Amino acid sequence: MTLLGRLGHRKVQLALGALAAVVLLLLWKPYALIEGVQRGGLYALIALPMALILGIVGIINLAHGEFMMLGAYFAYILFRSAGMDPLVAILPALGAFAILGALTYILTIRRALKAPELNQLLLTFGLAMMASQFANLLWTSQPYKPSLMYVYSSMRVGGLTFGSYAFVYVAAALALLVGLLLFLRRTRLGKAALAVGQNPRGAKLVGIDVNRTYLLIFTLAIALIGAIGAMFLTRHSVFPSVGSSYTMKSFCLIAMAGIGNLVGIVWGGLALGVAEALVSSFRGYGGWADVVFFAVLVAVIMGRSYWMRRLTA
Amino acid sequence: MFAGSKIARGTLLAVVAVFGLVFLAGAQEGAIKLGAVLPLGDITGAQAAKAMELAVDEINAAGGVLGRELEVIVIDSEFDAAKGAAAIDRLATVDEVDIFIGGMSSGVHLGQIPTLKKYEKVTVWIGAASSLVEEAVQGLDWYFHIHPWDYLQGQSYVDGWAAIEEEYPLITIDKAFWAYEDGAFGTGSYQGSLIAHEDWENIGDSFTSAALGGGDYRSILRLAQEEDPDIFIWVGYGSDALPIMEQAIEIGFTPPLFVGSPPGWPADFGESPLAEGVIAYGMWAPSISNVSAVSQAFWDGYIAMYDEEPATYFAPLGYTNVYVVVEAIERAGTLEKEALIDALEATEYESPVGETLTFTASNLIDHQGFQGQKILQWQDGEQQVIWPFEFATALPRYPFTGR
Repeated sequence: MTLLGRLGHRKVQLALGALAAVVLLLLWKPYALIEGVQRGGLYALIALPMALILGIVGIINLAHGEFMMLGAYFAYILFRSAGMDPLVAILPALGAFAILGALTYILTIRRALKAPELNQLLLTFGLAMMASQFANLLWTSQPYKPSLMYVYSSMRVGGLTFGSYAFVYVAAALALLVGLLLFLRRTRLGKAALAVGQNPRGAKLVGIDVNRTYLLIFTLAIALIGAIGAMFLTRHSVFPSVGSSYTMKSFCLIAMAGIGNLVGIVWGGLALGVAEALVSSFRGYGGWADVVFFAVLVAVIMGRSYWMRRLTA
Repeated sequence: MFAGSKIARGTLLAVVAVFGLVFLAGAQEGAIKLGAVLPLGDITGAQAAKAMELAVDEINAAGGVLGRELEVIVIDSEFDAAKGAAAIDRLATVDEVDIFIGGMSSGVHLGQIPTLKKYEKVTVWIGAASSLVEEAVQGLDWYFHIHPWDYLQGQSYVDGWAAIEEEYPLITIDKAFWAYEDGAFGTGSYQGSLIAHEDWENIGDSFTSAALGGGDYRSILRLAQEEDPDIFIWVGYGSDALPIMEQAIEIGFTPPLFVGSPPGWPADFGESPLAEGVIAYGMWAPSISNVSAVSQAFWDGYIAMYDEEPATYFAPLGYTNVYVVVEAIERAGTLEKEALIDALEATEYESPVGETLTFTASNLIDHQGFQGQKILQWQDGEQQVIWPFEFATALPRYPFTGR
């Protein structure tokens, strides 16, 4: 294929456009780019486990943010009682929330899989309410956050001074993405999960234990989001309602990227993080960041619908 | 036989009369009931309720009120206006309380006021700073308000900073940057502050609080950094407190004065080294115990009862609430409404908050208690009072260094 031919390819055009945007931002609003990427890394990291459940099990987990919230409290309790750093608490959180995820699936989700989608939504919404009320009863609405010196470490590059710790969210999102892709495409269980996600009836016909696959994927996703809660706590206060906005943002990212498109979720998260940071960098537009988030979402969904119509036409 | 029946009837009548008198006497001499509505799921409401119980225990141990036991019935408003109003209904009709006390959120209280107007019971309220509430309770002679209104708070900060600048010439404030959360609380506070601090050059911008889904403050901190203000004031919630400090240090933003104005601070904020030198606005600090015997007694009593330290000024406010009401009942000698109103108007109560509480007129109501707040500073992990000077527990540390 000639160079011109390659340039005509849609993905190449998108890549070049993204590169041009990055260079422009680097020259014009470098902090918006750097801090937006860090912010977007967090969004993508939180959204990936939700995408796993939606893509394979086929339900929208409206309690997603609440599981993250509980993971943050779990890490805080370990910090207070045992002096354990939240990043170290990721490991016990994985174990604890794997158990919680399995129990949640066996006791509730499994029984609603054949129910209408509205019932499934109501079920996970109920779980979300239970979790936040439980947290409120135990810990009240008082926010908690460990004081950790490393979270405000900064670095200087050229004339720019910016925080370095928050890149951990970007690294974690990329690591989780690579891990999930390897798991889904290279392992027997992962391939079985993909098959179940695409066609549960067909998967069952070829001998895949669908229920067991759902259980394992749900357990894995909850274990991951619980551990992410521990990471979240390093830079954010925890309180009972902290998770709900991240449920919404995660769902929006998945809607934007498309169900099953884990790579798209990471790109979408980064793009939205940068868009928010860019808008916030202008005086008087700080409150518009959320509007931008959802405006970009609407624009992408409408754009994709238009593109799909053109392709089918 | 006829004579025996008469004796039996007479005896029966006497027994019934005695029981009736005993019942009536018991009904008249039952507990005096205070009905409180508080957000028990929040530290402010939870600690205010505990402080009220402490006061009730102390009063009952000393013989009660007018020879009767005192009881406080607390219902959780859950920060919900409808539930707060329903709580007033229940306290009035089911629990048949004598006086309403408590309160925290202005939004909830606005929902309760129509219900309070139904019953017109004497109400002594420790919450609600919004002047919208003041408008709603205008003209109600049975309503007494303890917490300073928002404009009174703002004026006290103006007076405080002017006094601090005069007392300590090294501290000068010409330019202020306001970072306010983009909800009603932050925006309203900012608008009010612009009017109050007209002697400053004020620049402001909004951010989304962590309480409402935000949590990244670096954009607004950089905007503030560009302005190089003499004082940086953030108006948000407790969940913003430590993250905003961390992110300020991360980008190298250390204005000479770093002020936080949340309704409450996280319990562990003082443990962070970043708290050092941060200025806070509040009605009370634990260190006031060092300059006030009443505050010390409250502090000791609260810890002895609950094995925890009071962490919010709603604790001494809750304690004040009960004692102010009880002392008024003692002065009046009765629960009769007009006598009680007169007695409350004569209140002079030395509060553990520090000031002596009296009720005077504010802009729109006749019975306003506290007139302002204090300027505090975190020093070595503790909140110290730096103004008003009569309650000062430490000298201000200036400038803020972020370490």
